[in-house]
Amino acid sequence: MKLSPTDKIIQDKMKPGILTANGFLGNDKRNFRDIIADDMKIVNSFDKSLEDIANRMQYLMEKSFLSYDSSIVVDKNYEVEYNSYRGVLLSPFPNAGRFGKATIKVTNLKNHMCVVWTPLHVHFIRDFGFFEGKGSKFRIEPEILYKAIFD
Amino acid sequence: MNYQKIITEILILAGISGVLATLIVVAKAILQNYGECVIDINGKRKVTVKGGGSLLTSLAEENIFVPSACGGKGSCGACKCVVTDGGGPVLPTEKPFFDAKELAANYRLACQVKVKNDIKIEIPEEIFNIRKFNGKVAKIEDFTYDIKGVTFDLISPKEIDFKAGQYVQLRSPKYGKVRESVTRAYSISSKPSLQNQIQLIIRRVPEGICTTWVHDFLKEGQEVEITGPYGDFFIRDTQADIIFVAGGSGKAPIKSMLEDLAEKGCNRKMSYFFGAKTTKDLYLTKYIESFCDVFPDFTYYPILSHPEPDDNWQGRTGWIMPYFPDALRDPKNTEAYLCGSPGMIAAVTKNLMELGIPEDKIYYDSFV
Repeated sequence: MKLSPTDKIIQDKMKPGILTANGFLGNDKRNFRDIIADDMKIVNSFDKSLEDIANRMQYLMEKSFLSYDSSIVVDKNYEVEYNSYRGVLLSPFPNAGRFGKATIKVTNLKNHMCVVWTPLHVHFIRDFGFFEGKGSKFRIEPEILYKAIFD
Repeated sequence: MNYQKIITEILILAGISGVLATLIVVAKAILQNYGECVIDINGKRKVTVKGGGSLLTSLAEENIFVPSACGGKGSCGACKCVVTDGGGPVLPTEKPFFDAKELAANYRLACQVKVKNDIKIEIPEEIFNIRKFNGKVAKIEDFTYDIKGVTFDLISPKEIDFKAGQYVQLRSPKYGKVRESVTRAYSISSKPSLQNQIQLIIRRVPEGICTTWVHDFLKEGQEVEITGPYGDFFIRDTQADIIFVAGGSGKAPIKSMLEDLAEKGCNRKMSYFFGAKTTKDLYLTKYIESFCDVFPDFTYYPILSHPEPDDNWQGRTGWIMPYFPDALRDPKNTEAYLCGSPGMIAAVTKNLMELGIPEDKIYYDSFV
């Protein structure tokens, strides 16, 4: 997919060393619009929308926030480990606000699927369907995310 | 014949493009040349700067360092100041940082305000005490697997005046894939009386630009740029009991406070809760425990939330909050000093207030 001038600015901000040490694209050769388009083919096969997925992530994140940076079990089925750090991150997308630096690790205690995300991902997924590029440290595979937070 | 025509047309097109590009460059130079602009600070001091830069960088060029934990990217909100005249409209990038009251009071982010004309601002007087230091790394110590202690000798200026608990900003240069220099805030962990040297305790942040540089690239002997001191996180001069709560690198300002109080003498009842997951996350334990011999009423409570079987941990376990009542004798006459991650600050503040400590006596770093 061809990038618009605004998209090119976003693509640049996703590169290493701009907002995070290694950026959001990993070693993926596709641009972020193509990454989104390919991931959306998978998401569209789910019975949940991006909004549903993001809401679920937000729910688990908020439940674990007051755990004093520890792990708790939510709804008897999800072990959620919250680690927060000082400072905030900007989204590469324009005027999207700022997001706390944290990692949220969710392990589904039934199927043992495990995913790690950051507060920025809830915005990425809700607003753009962006799960990051292949090889990125925080790339989330949509199928694994689905199985981890809904099964 | 056709080739000649094509080449002629290409040349004409290239010529027109060249003229247009030149016009744009000339117009930009004329229209964006704001000339010299005067920044009136607090109605007491005026500085003349070259227009076109951000208020944050324009002030920094005049050695006036408004706090900024993100290096002017508009992500931290630390560079809030009041612009009473000449700041232009509030940008969408600024609005998330202000409530209606602050917007009405003309609060702006100095990094987002462009100096295009004379401008009037109000900033706290303490900012004039902030200076830029060139330093050299004297020592790097591994405190845990993800926390380092870094000691810097100050070269120019050679001495810093700060209150125990305050922080500085460290600038990381371009390195590896990182194409921009960034600044990040870190609490000073050394005592104020040691004026020619400061120590910082820095925890690795996953994908963090500055902490990755500190942990993977910074070497002893390397020169660095530091600005400071910043912040209003310091011990209040009262006789109230004190509860310190820290986690991770949050030990830094508390260490500085204890060292400072040890030098000055302190009879206040002090209880220090340090939360960690396993023994791998504990550090400087014996050193902090040594303050029990310095102060008449000091207790250190290292508490592990998830000790591993191999840890053979005999101490307190679980969350730190259930242990607070052990240290509280008069909540209304107790001050709490917290330093750690946002998750810890939120959880502990909520709990301390439930226990009766007034909200205005709970202090923590403003840059979390």
